[in-house]
Amino acid sequence: MLTLLRDLRRLRSGLALPRPERPGSLAIRHVDAGSCNGCEHELVLTSSPHYDLQRFGLGLVASPRHADVLLVTGTVTTRMREPLLTAYRAMPEPRRVAALGDCALGCHPLGTASELVGPVDALFPVDLRIPGCPPTPDAIAAALLELLDRPAGRRLGRT
Amino acid sequence: MTAVSGAEGYRERIGTALAGSWRFAGLHATAGGTAVRVLLAAPDGSTRLESVAAERATAPSIVDLVPAAAWDEREAHDLQGVAFAGHDPLRPLVDHDPDLGRWTVPVRGHDPYEVAVGPIHAGVIESGHFRFHVVGDRILHLDIRLFYKHRGLERAAEGATLEQGMAYVGRACAACTVANGVAYAHACEEALGLRPTAELRRARTILLELERIWSHLNDIAAVCAGVGLAAGNTRFAALTERARRLNAALTGHRFLFRTVAVAGSALALGPDELRAAREELTALREEAASGWRELAFNASFQDRLPEIGVVAAAAARRLGTTGPAARAAGVREDVRAASPRLAYDGFVAVVPERATGDVQARFEQRALELWQSFTLLDALLEHPLGPAVAERSDAERELGVGRVESPRGATSCVVERRGDRIERLRLRTGSYASWPAVAHAAADDLLPDFPLINKSFELCYACTDR
Ligand code: SF4
Repeated sequence: MLTLLRDLRRLRSGLALPRPERPGSLAIRHVDAGSCNGCEHELVLTSSPHYDLQRFGLGLVASPRHADVLLVTGTVTTRMREPLLTAYRAMPEPRRVAALGDCALGCHPLGTASELVGPVDALFPVDLRIPGCPPTPDAIAAALLELLDRPAGRRLGRT
Repeated sequence: MTAVSGAEGYRERIGTALAGSWRFAGLHATAGGTAVRVLLAAPDGSTRLESVAAERATAPSIVDLVPAAAWDEREAHDLQGVAFAGHDPLRPLVDHDPDLGRWTVPVRGHDPYEVAVGPIHAGVIESGHFRFHVVGDRILHLDIRLFYKHRGLERAAEGATLEQGMAYVGRACAACTVANGVAYAHACEEALGLRPTAELRRARTILLELERIWSHLNDIAAVCAGVGLAAGNTRFAALTERARRLNAALTGHRFLFRTVAVAGSALALGPDELRAAREELTALREEAASGWRELAFNASFQDRLPEIGVVAAAAARRLGTTGPAARAAGVREDVRAASPRLAYDGFVAVVPERATGDVQARFEQRALELWQSFTLLDALLEHPLGPAVAERSDAERELGVGRVESPRGATSCVVERRGDRIERLRLRTGSYASWPAVAHAAADDLLPDFPLINKSFELCYACTDR
């Protein structure tokens, strides 16, 4: 156990992103609306020692009711349309929506048209676009930090 | 070469084959639902397809012979409209319209109630729905409803050229993109009468093992997370990150996207890249081994693993469970042991000493396979690699089959073609085969243990749903 903790301390000091002074925080609720799981796998690693996004006040939360940001991956499938809208409606204002990955953004959708609703902005306004297939943890971290630095409550999205 | 037979004696032929050494490897309805085909595989790597006409959109069921065919028949009903005589009740699988009562198993008795979880889960997890029938905290039965992420990829690929088909297969799932891609490439090449050269076999085997390494590192991290051991989780997450960086250094993509193609490979690795890659793999192996030792001696962590989520060998065989989950139960089967189209000569499947099919055995199995993959890769990366092609070996045919051991088990791909276009594509992944085992493993255990049990399988939803 001690070895594990020592390794982690070394990793954090040697590898993690530098932490500039940054006030504030964002609670993020992720919803997989029909991804290939690549975007999720990269998102998971933003909490690994190399990136450690929690240090910046960015945390993934379990309930949309606790969330500032809805982070959506994948082209929205017909079967995920309702669950996604339910999560969105459950969020307090001001809420922001981030579309993670090319699928969520509507680039090169793959599949049968009748099984797909379309990109995230077919359902509600998107505040942050994170392109890539999948975006690297670096790119995800940079985009979310940019959102953190934006003045809050500029727009209140409504369904 | 896959043998194809049809017409009379469909059930008898399948029954006889299964009584011998053949194993069920998938069932699908053809485009338009006019026929049903069953894929069988033998331990020596040979495959055969048994077909039956679906007259008046009905085919004889084989679930009484092979319970593992249950999901396949339900899917063929929902997507191609084929009914299966003798499969009763034929519950919906992909179709989400029917009422709850149609797709759940009725549970009666004192005080049972239902706990519905998902499709959206608490963490960063793919979407899927679990309906637990419980008494107190004890799980009586679990109904799993997936296919929330069904994108209709197979249907969308119909009419595409064999070359274009790779895009659909490759993006079905990021965690299995290589395994799915190679299974598809093998299927196309069998149909085209092509055989990979030694160089092409080596290129694909390197990619498959790189995929297994990041995947198994990720799975070890996931089990630590399932127990709440943050130190173990972050340690192995950091190793997963490094494995993905290595993928990017070798192929330009962290998940090895677009590295597999039909009939060839563009992957070129020079001496300097190879040296750097082997050094990094040695370092990764040492750090993984040191992290693993720490976990092995952490008593409070280890106490959480044994005797929960059990899938014993008999159940694994009956349910058609495959990959690490089956091997952890002592079923010593691995497609790599008979893969003439890949560079696995002399490969022998490993199983843990204590092959009890519980969470601990599945956890241990990942480590055993990880060490094996490091050794394989070290040898595969000894010599420079150049672009490679497949060469002509047999006559062309309308149909081809590919089978590959993905990080989550045996993945089969069947391609039926007309000219150079796809008429029907079926991709049956290791995850698809093993999901029923997750429900089996959960029964009789406590509800709060389910996240850990699920993590010990760490199956994909994306390539199951397609
Ligand atoms: S953007 Fe790429 S990685 Fe992300 S879900 Fe789509 S196909 Fe997968």
